[in-house]
Amino acid sequence: MLLATLFESGVKIEHYMVLATALFVIGVFGVLYRKNAIILLMCIELMLNAVNLLLVAFSTYFGQADGQLFVFFIMVVVAAEATVGLSILVLLFRNTRSVDIRLFNKLKN
Amino acid sequence: MDALLIVFASGLISLFAAFAKKPWLVVSSAMAGLLAAIIVIIVQLQTGKAFFDFLTYEGLSFDQFALLFSLAICVLSLLIIGIGYERFKENPTHTGEYIGLLMFSATGAMIMTAYTDMFMFFLGLEILSIPIYVMAGSNKADVRSSEASLKYFLTGSFATGIFLFGLAWVYGATGTFKLQEIQMKIEEMDTLSPILMIGVLLIMASFIFKIGAAPFHFWSPDVYDGAPPAVTGFMASVVKIAAFYAFLKMFALCFGQGELFLFWKGALVVMIIITLFVGNLSALRQVRFKRLLAYSSITHVGYTLLLFVSQVDFFFSSQYLWFYMFAYGFSIVGIIAVAIAVNDSEDRIDALRGLGKRNPFLAIVGIVSLLSLAGIPPTSGFFAKYILFSAAWKSAAWLVIIALINSGISIYYYLKVIVAIASPADQEQEKIKLSPLTIAVLVIALAGMLGFSFVLPLL
Repeated sequence: MLLATLFESGVKIEHYMVLATALFVIGVFGVLYRKNAIILLMCIELMLNAVNLLLVAFSTYFGQADGQLFVFFIMVVVAAEATVGLSILVLLFRNTRSVDIRLFNKLKN
Repeated sequence: MDALLIVFASGLISLFAAFAKKPWLVVSSAMAGLLAAIIVIIVQLQTGKAFFDFLTYEGLSFDQFALLFSLAICVLSLLIIGIGYERFKENPTHTGEYIGLLMFSATGAMIMTAYTDMFMFFLGLEILSIPIYVMAGSNKADVRSSEASLKYFLTGSFATGIFLFGLAWVYGATGTFKLQEIQMKIEEMDTLSPILMIGVLLIMASFIFKIGAAPFHFWSPDVYDGAPPAVTGFMASVVKIAAFYAFLKMFALCFGQGELFLFWKGALVVMIIITLFVGNLSALRQVRFKRLLAYSSITHVGYTLLLFVSQVDFFFSSQYLWFYMFAYGFSIVGIIAVAIAVNDSEDRIDALRGLGKRNPFLAIVGIVSLLSLAGIPPTSGFFAKYILFSAAWKSAAWLVIIALINSGISIYYYLKVIVAIASPADQEQEKIKLSPLTIAVLVIALAGMLGFSFVLPLL
């Protein structure tokens, strides 16, 4: 019943805004609360994909290609960033044999 | 535009020059490229014409201020490569990668000064940041360096995510990515849409992250402490210049009118006060040199942010910012040179004791840089701070008074380091020998720190 009304009225821009915000907030909380560095990376990806969704939604709403173009830029840059991040993690894993961020505390006073 | 291409090309050349296994070749190709870029920029500033007029792209406009800030970026990158050279002679394996990454990062910084749309800003930001994540971890044998790298990476990409989310909302409110069109759309609005306000706040939070102001400053002491000294110098000078000018450009030109200004001004004023006190009070109890530097740089971010709330015209505020960042960058170069030469594994302030005897010239450079950071005449740090405070005085006098009180507190911990440099060591230490390149760099930095006081009265 609920699904039927949703399909009849069509998915509006507001739905995308709520979905993207929810995904983004899940990502932010993941970054703040998880202890595994690889999961932190995944949460950052989730944040950026929420942004992609929002940009595509707005882009379609305005009937422009700008937002979708931007999404390609974001994808490329995020791939580069993830590469660097994972290699930093490999470097740390060689030293500590773990990816738990609580162990990375050599820089405290 | 040609300066940008020259810096990028010389980065590529120095990357390939590393195959020859000769550090001097790598360093000299990078330095030659930066020198060429400096000359090109000065010629373009004088004549108003680029060498290659046909190289244009609408997303980048090298106007007068973009050129001035690019000049500062090139000069400071040159000096930082110069003082880092000693280290490469000892351990030449990764010189090519390091110098190449530094040049690419400088390219990104120049893009960030010249952007006119958000595409270019985002690309510049990432071209600036990604090499620095790697450079911060370039000391592979040291686990602290890798840890600094991870921390910088996580906070940096988190900030990028926040920036993009904010940008998506601004796009939703205005329907464009170009700075000028965004500004026009905001002017046309009768009432501010909440979407736009969320977007602006998120973008501001990401900038606060990047420049390292409180309450998002917690990464910077760890990262500055763990990264190799030359990289710390690069982060404290070049990255700050690019991020600050990009911040000023976006917020003064794009989001700087009427109601929207009042909206983010309130948040920024609170952040400035927190930044000043957190930076200064934490710096008081530091025993490590680079950590002290990190907190001092947080305080300087606080002073500089006064420009954003002071309602000065963009034309003047970018000049003041340029002068301040240049003066600050020279002092950072001087101090980092001291840290590299002393080369204490623990980075203790006490390790600086007896520097006056080990190398008097280095000690003088260190003391002048610290005086310049503290803002004591006749150094350029004093003039920069004076200009900045007097600009902010007209609209936010009480904030300037808070900044002055903090400036007073900060003299204590700078003097602590100066006293350590000037006092004799407990035991006899070997003399420090500086290479001619380092001496040349330090003479330039000294001229930059003291020269303004002779030039300024003539203007």
